[in-house]
Amino acid sequence: MQFMDDMSRILIIDDEEVVLDSCSQILEGSGHLIQTAPDGATGLKLVDTFRPDLVFIDLKMPGMPGMEVLEKINALDSTIVTVVITGFATVGSAVEAMKKGAYDFLPKPFTPEEFRLITRRSLERRRLIQETITLRREKEMLREHFAHIVSHELKAPLGAVQQNLFALEFELSDVLNEGQKEKVRRLKIRIEDMLKLINSWLRVISVDINKLKENFARISVMASISKALENVEPLAARKNIEIVTFFSNVMNPIYGDELSLSEAFVNILGNAIKYSQDGGKINLKVEEVENEILISVEDSGIGISPEDISHIFEGFYRGKDVQTAIVGHGIGLAVSRQIIEAHDGSITVESELGKGSTFVIRLPAVKTAPDPESDIEPVGMAKS
Amino acid sequence: MKAKIMMIDDDPDFIAGIRAILERADYDVNVAYNPKDGFQALQSQSYDLLLLDIMMGRGAEGVALARKIRKDPRLREIPVLIITGVREQIAFLFPGQAVHPNFVDVDELVEKPIEPNLLLEKVEALLKASEEKKLQA
Repeated sequence: MQFMDDMSRILIIDDEEVVLDSCSQILEGSGHLIQTAPDGATGLKLVDTFRPDLVFIDLKMPGMPGMEVLEKINALDSTIVTVVITGFATVGSAVEAMKKGAYDFLPKPFTPEEFRLITRRSLERRRLIQETITLRREKEMLREHFAHIVSHELKAPLGAVQQNLFALEFELSDVLNEGQKEKVRRLKIRIEDMLKLINSWLRVISVDINKLKENFARISVMASISKALENVEPLAARKNIEIVTFFSNVMNPIYGDELSLSEAFVNILGNAIKYSQDGGKINLKVEEVENEILISVEDSGIGISPEDISHIFEGFYRGKDVQTAIVGHGIGLAVSRQIIEAHDGSITVESELGKGSTFVIRLPAVKTAPDPESDIEPVGMAKS
Repeated sequence: MKAKIMMIDDDPDFIAGIRAILERADYDVNVAYNPKDGFQALQSQSYDLLLLDIMMGRGAEGVALARKIRKDPRLREIPVLIITGVREQIAFLFPGQAVHPNFVDVDELVEKPIEPNLLLEKVEALLKASEEKKLQA
């Protein structure tokens, strides 16, 4: 049976026996398995039992119309490639069929060569569809596998190393001289940086937008902002950077998840601090403009080059001009973008090398008008 | 009297790193490398504090153990410090913000690895909170 499974299966549905016969004859010896059906109902049964890769459907048949057969096959398994057979006068319906998911159409009458060609092309299409599905599944498995490896084989051992280093330093605190303490400090910092990097990888791998949406509620964007500000405050203080805030006129709530939004703001503010000179200034502006909450973060740091700017939201990317001393991993922005887009928002950036960058986040505001229906179906929930 | 601490974690190296800090701070530390031995140890003598890992064995066996402890009228009085490496499962942690998973009445969660001063601070705080709860009762 293994042999048969490797062959492509073709089903031809047509009420004219002569068409069925000649089509079968044309494909004879091509190595394909062929079955035929004289009407739509029989054809649909065969789709279930014969499991075809490719189905030819005559549009004009007594009983169930070809268009309906097409729709039913598509609903059953949209990876099956369908080709409609049409008479001269029905090119319009061929177009309609293609809108309904048919891959191609074959006008009657057709030559054996035309039939062979369209069969070959359609089976190639089917192969590509199946390959895409396999690749997608593999990619998903790889992602999960990678997450597992990262957390078990990398993160846990490194954590144990760091814990023992902590213990060693603690036990030897009375014995170590300044030079030795400095070496321990370097070790700790490098390991901590690695752990941070691993954590952000895990974050990017495991951020599940759909799961995020399950927790959506009406929240104030200001709550997320102040949480984020609190979080980055120590970082800013260490570099003596002032974050100047302009909060104006934010009346309406948004529909989202407070914690993940503040994570996005922490990433963006954190970047602004990271890439600013010591003693610099960052402007954080929050305002509501025409049903949108606009959050802008403007720094006067090192800026982003035009080559880099199109990649910064992609993940696993960091500009090549950035000084190596800076601990950055280019993942925070990708996560932030995912989070913001899950909120039906957008993030954009304008930047000039050496002058600084401005990140602008837009989030749709929820109208708080006393409309009872808006309570049942908040904005942003309807589309998914 | 020295406070008695039980630690359950399936990573012996990690246990060693925690144990050294606690013993230097003069705690009496006992350890188990899997939930089964750990539960037995908890039942065989009384402890003042439990340090518990979440991801052990085939999955979140630490959580299953915490549930068992919660069902036991005597064991659930022990304060629990959960030390975990699974950040992705507990979402985004804000540094400095205490996380109480509420597995038992007095508990707190911290991330691996943990700095000696923070560890000792959390241990002391949990012991104190548990002591105060006992006095109130």
